[in-house]
This record gives sequence, structure tokens and C-alpha cells, in this order.
Amino acid sequence: MPVLDEVPGSQTQAKKREKRKLALNMAAYLSPIIVIIVVFVFAPLAIILFFSFMKSGPYGSIIYTFTFENIIAMAGGGYGKIFLQSVYLAFQTNFLCILFGYPIAYYIARFGGKRKVLWIFMIIVPSWSSYLIRLYALKTLVGTKGTLNTVLINLGLISEPLQILYTNFAVTMALVFAWLPFMILPIYAALEGLDRSVLEAAADLGATPFRRFFRVTLPLTRGGLLAGSILVFIPTVGEWLVPSIFGGSKIMMAGSLVAHKFTQVGNIPQGSSLAIMLAATLVLILYLTIKWGGREALEKAL
Amino acid sequence: MKKKKRIAQKILWVLSILTLVFLWAPMILIIVFSFSNNKYGSSWEGFTLKWYVKLLSNDQVRDALTRSLIIAGVTVVVATFIGTITAYGLYKLNFRGKQFLRTSILLPIVFPSVVTGSALLVFFTRLIHIPLGYPSIIIAHIVFCSPLAVFIILGRMQRFDWAWEEAALDLGATPFRTFLRVTGPQLLPAIMASAMLIFPWSFDDFVITYFVSGVGSTTLPIYVFSQLRFGATPVINTIGTLFVTITMLGMLAVYFSQKMGNKKSST
Repeated sequence: MPVLDEVPGSQTQAKKREKRKLALNMAAYLSPIIVIIVVFVFAPLAIILFFSFMKSGPYGSIIYTFTFENIIAMAGGGYGKIFLQSVYLAFQTNFLCILFGYPIAYYIARFGGKRKVLWIFMIIVPSWSSYLIRLYALKTLVGTKGTLNTVLINLGLISEPLQILYTNFAVTMALVFAWLPFMILPIYAALEGLDRSVLEAAADLGATPFRRFFRVTLPLTRGGLLAGSILVFIPTVGEWLVPSIFGGSKIMMAGSLVAHKFTQVGNIPQGSSLAIMLAATLVLILYLTIKWGGREALEKAL
Repeated sequence: MKKKKRIAQKILWVLSILTLVFLWAPMILIIVFSFSNNKYGSSWEGFTLKWYVKLLSNDQVRDALTRSLIIAGVTVVVATFIGTITAYGLYKLNFRGKQFLRTSILLPIVFPSVVTGSALLVFFTRLIHIPLGYPSIIIAHIVFCSPLAVFIILGRMQRFDWAWEEAALDLGATPFRTFLRVTGPQLLPAIMASAMLIFPWSFDDFVITYFVSGVGSTTLPIYVFSQLRFGATPVINTIGTLFVTITMLGMLAVYFSQKMGNKKSST
């Protein structure tokens, strides 16, 4: 039948037109970001991946022969330990941010009342002020000759200044100080979105406040916790400024190692392999998060 | 029962105040010290405004500030534009590999700055020979800011009423005209929000800029960092004070303009 013959023909033509329209639209809307991602993200990563397999020559030169020695050297020994330490510090920071962040987020959401906006304001302002200057300010407070020590000595509470800087404690404190607001805000948002009637139902059914919190409130704000954790954990692993200001040469993190190799030593192959390892670690973590349903949390967190 | 609740509330209040003190004490300290006569800017020795006078006459600071403003300005315009059209494309178009593209756009955000910075440095110097300075810094900033703009705007697009756009198209407006007269104005708050978030991101970035800036292109954060190596200086205190003040004023402006907007739309 001729009619039947015509229909598939016009359909494929319509399909073709649709396809062309889609391609044109994609070119119009998406080509800039694709160029950015391919040229300025994928290509640079490919370059450092390539360099991480090259031999390093004297004075920062690169000898173009294939070798595994960087990867082996960087993965083993002291460097591997520093990587593990970074991941550990990031977990610790994340945990402490939840521990300190949840109560204040809960207080604001539940009891903030008229002052809610003021509370939120007081949390957002530090998170938006210059990161570098905030770290500098913290150092002014806790440094060897810092205000805290001066005050304590003048009060006669201590006779010698406390050595806070260049300890694990200092690095952890600075990390929590820097990233805490980014944990509080998503938790607060999740708590605000909580349906109060669920809590009332739990109470009516005889749940104790304690049980109510751990069985209802906490699970229902999991999204906020996840979003906050992504915002805190990821930048912490690759942190460079905090360990270099608060850890000195004593406590290094993966980020400071990469920066050291590139900016001080000028060893591109070794620096590249460290950077690749750091990126791989984070991609793995990101992959796991997305797998556990964190994609929405991640995009929402932004 | 009620009493118990009261006590719990009190405890939470104390914890919250302590958290705020922890977040604010260092900042308040440098604000106070910026008015102190002490030449290291690290203790109180009577009130003075001389550090602010010194800041105004400091050429290095002025240069660095100008540079940072230019870079952040260009970055905000380009990144917000790219973010807007990308978000629109991602929202409207369905194609194979969309999920992959979205994940790829997330990469520059989740990669540590040291990785992005070092990879771009090697790429610029060893492969495409882009001069270090304005070109390299601005490209780097666009690379890490555009993805942010994409997701900020995409997030707001999901809450839109798209019926207006369809109506305009149905009534025969060209796609361009529709965008200009209907979609664009509707998108404006999202675009503004993205610009407001990106400006501080670009202005305040230290790590990536430090990698790709080369010699002589000192931005404000790099200037601050270079001063910190010599120990504390009162000038940094004044810069910090101004930063906090400007952030607060900016946020208040946003808050009140939103409040006014809400009032207008509700009446």
C-alpha cells in the first residue's frame, strides 16, 4: 500500500529534522562549556597524567622517557603516609563539623524565632569573608605570641606560651574554623524543611525526645548532612593553606605536597604524579558518594 | 517535661553562642587591632587610624586591588553568560551523554585547587604557551567559576514556571525574542544570584591564581599571602576589616532588596 510506504519516509525525515535541530541547539547552548571542559580540564589533566610517567631531569627539566619511578616513589614511603593522613584529617574535620554544626543548626531552626535571620547572617558572613584573611586572623589569636597566649600569661594562668601552632590540633582547629559554616547551612536548610507533624506523631506514639531525635530527625536530615559533608570533605583533602600556615613543615597534607613539588622544587613529573593521585582519590570518593545517592545532594549543595 | 525542654534549649543556646564566638573571635580581634597603635598589629596600644591612611597610600595594595577587580569583573561576566546558556541547554535538551556532561562539569568544582592550578600551569607553560598574567589568570578563573554558575542557575531553573515561554512561542514570538522578553527577565534573579556568588569566589581565590599568575601579577590575595610570610602587619588587619565590612554591607543590601521585592510582589 502506497500510504504505508509514505508514512515511514516522512517519519524519518521528521526525525532527521529533529536531530538537526537538536544538534544546532546543542552547538548554540553547550559548545562553550564543552570547549572549557575538554580544553581546559581534560587536556591539562591528560598532560599531567603524561608527565607523571616521565623522568625528571636536573633543574626542573623533563626527560621524555617512560618510567614508573615517580608513581612508585610517590605512592610509597613517606608520601603515602601523608596521603593517608590527609584523608584521616578530612574525616576528622568532617566529623567535628557535624558535632559542632548540628547543635547550632538545630537551635536556629527550632528556637531561632525572630532572630533567625540574624543567626544565619552571623554564620554566612565569616564563610564569605576572605579565606586567607580568616586563617591569618586565627593565627593572630592562637600564635605563640598571639592574643590568647598574651591574655593567659597576663592572667597568670600559664607561665610559658602554649605551643598551639604546628601541631595536629592547630591544623584540625583551623580546618574546622574554615569549613564549619559550610556544614551548618545545609543542615539548617534540611532541618527547616523537616515536616513537624512527623515529630509530633512520634511524640504522640510515645517516643522519648532522645529516641525521636535519633530515629526521626537525624535520618530525615541525612540529605543536609551529606551535602555539608561533600562541601567540607572535598576541599579539606586537598588543603594547602591550612597545613602550610598552621602545620609548618611538621604537618603536611596532600595538597601542600603537590604545591611544594610544583612551586618550590619545580619537579613537574613528581608533582604531576602526586596531583594525579590526589585527583584519583577524590574521583573515587565522589564516585562512591554519587553511588550512594549523593548526586542530588551534591548539586543542591551548590 | 516542660522544664526539661527548657534546659535542653538553654544548653543548645550556650553551644550555639560558643560556636559563634569561635567563628567570630579571630575576625573581631583583627578588626580591633586594625585601630591599634601597635606596629606589628598584634596587640592593643591605643586608638589610631594611621594604618587606614597608610593603606590608602599603598601603591602595591592599589595595584593588587585593581588587578583583582578586573579579573573578577571579567570572570563574572563571562562565567555567568556561559553558565546561563549551559544551564538552559542542559535543562531543555535531551541527548545521549547528558549525564556524562553534567558529571564532567562537576569536575572542576570538586577537584582540589592545587590539582586544577598545577594542571593548568603545566598546560599553559609547556603546551599552549599562554603568557602567565592576565590571560592565564582569567582563563583559569573562568574554568573554575563557569561550572559553579551552571549549577546555581540550573538549580533555580527547576523551580520556574515555563508555561510563559511556551505561550510566547505559541503566540508566534521568535525564539530570540522570547528569550529576550520572556525567559531572560524571568531568569534575571538566577543570573544575579550566580554573579553575586561568583564575584567573591573569583576575587578571593588564592591557590589557583598563585599557580598560574607568574611573576609580577599580584592579586590581592597573593599580596596578603606575601605579607603573611613576613609575619603580621597592621595593613592586613585593615584589609581584613574592610573585607568583613564590605561582605556585611553586600549581604544586607541583598537581604533588604529581597525583602522589598517580596513586599512588592505580595501587594
